[in-house]
Amino acid sequence: MGGLMKEFFKGLWNDNPTFRLQIGLCPVLAVTSSALNGLGMGLATTFVLICSSVLISLLKNVIPSKVRIPCYIIVIATFSTIVDLVMHAFLPDLHRVLGIFIPLIVVNCILMGRAEAFASKNSVVSSALDGLGMGLGFTWALTLIGAIREILGSGSIFNHKFVADTAATFGFFSLPPGAFVTVGILIAGMNIISARLRKAS
Amino acid sequence: MNESVRMIVVLTVIAMVSGGLLAWVNDWTGAIISENQLQAMMASIQEVLPTATRVEILSSSPSTLVEEDPDQAREVEQATTEMFIGFDDNDRPVGYAFVGEGPGYGGAVRVLVGVDGASGKILGISIVSHAETPGLGSRIEEESFRSQFVGKTLNDPIALGRDIDALTGATVSSRAVVQAVRTGFEDASIAYERSR
Repeated sequence: MGGLMKEFFKGLWNDNPTFRLQIGLCPVLAVTSSALNGLGMGLATTFVLICSSVLISLLKNVIPSKVRIPCYIIVIATFSTIVDLVMHAFLPDLHRVLGIFIPLIVVNCILMGRAEAFASKNSVVSSALDGLGMGLGFTWALTLIGAIREILGSGSIFNHKFVADTAATFGFFSLPPGAFVTVGILIAGMNIISARLRKAS
Repeated sequence: MNESVRMIVVLTVIAMVSGGLLAWVNDWTGAIISENQLQAMMASIQEVLPTATRVEILSSSPSTLVEEDPDQAREVEQATTEMFIGFDDNDRPVGYAFVGEGPGYGGAVRVLVGVDGASGKILGISIVSHAETPGLGSRIEEESFRSQFVGKTLNDPIALGRDIDALTGATVSSRAVVQAVRTGFEDASIAYERSR
């Protein structure tokens, strides 16, 4: 049981895809101009990640290794398209913001990475937990980056404005360079916390 | 089983299942998606054409335009293909709305323009879709910028630096809105006159 929990928790901190593995950075930089965008993108990716991990883990003995990559891509692309269509139908406002990034989940290396490195070698349960942990790790990272950029860049949080409309904000943080700076500072901060924790234990 | 045969069978089965599943989901969501888009458009029309209590679609896509417009030469050059007419409680036409398009910084900027039928004055504009830079170009959505277009007619220049002030740091986005309003305006007014 402890082993299974480890598969879940590693994605949240020790193997966090954004801050530790530093994979899938394209959506991290592109969609995190607000906290809500980050949360939406994170949850959409989590859903695709869990579904594709479970399915690939189920099929791992059926898929011949020579055609495993096209098989993974078909599975991932199918789930991404389902998310795209369902979100378009039931969450049109979120879809308008994330619309062009949802199809990009297909080429997010977190998906291929977890399929190749984990789901194709492990049981269904641990693959699902790995997908859930990685997805939630990705989600909190995106939401945090989005929140910081939204507070500094637009003076609001989850679309609730807390400064006057005329107040000057750091527009820089709404733009792509602001995303790089934010991610860099957060990675540095996470390294400091990890180093402290290691020293303490 | 021979390995290459197995590869072909597995890949084919996975692709077929995926195709079937996507066809089903597309079928299921397609109707909801187009219904949502229509409702969002109708809500925006109410906003730019406040005097109308009922809205009728004059034309919604290039294909319907071809059927409805007898003038074959014009439809190719028609700048706007989405046009709506608003009616009051007594079923009299009070004005029209059209969607214009202009090239922005991050792609096309689509603008819905509501025009009063009697005076030919713009009652309001609303940004349908854009991909402009957040915090800079996206400010074309702000009321203070959009309200500059209210009261303009076909006889006004509707040009940056003349009767419309550009947003600071977002000249390209401002120009896209101006162009979007101007390009469809004449075609829409002709279509409105003809429809009455």
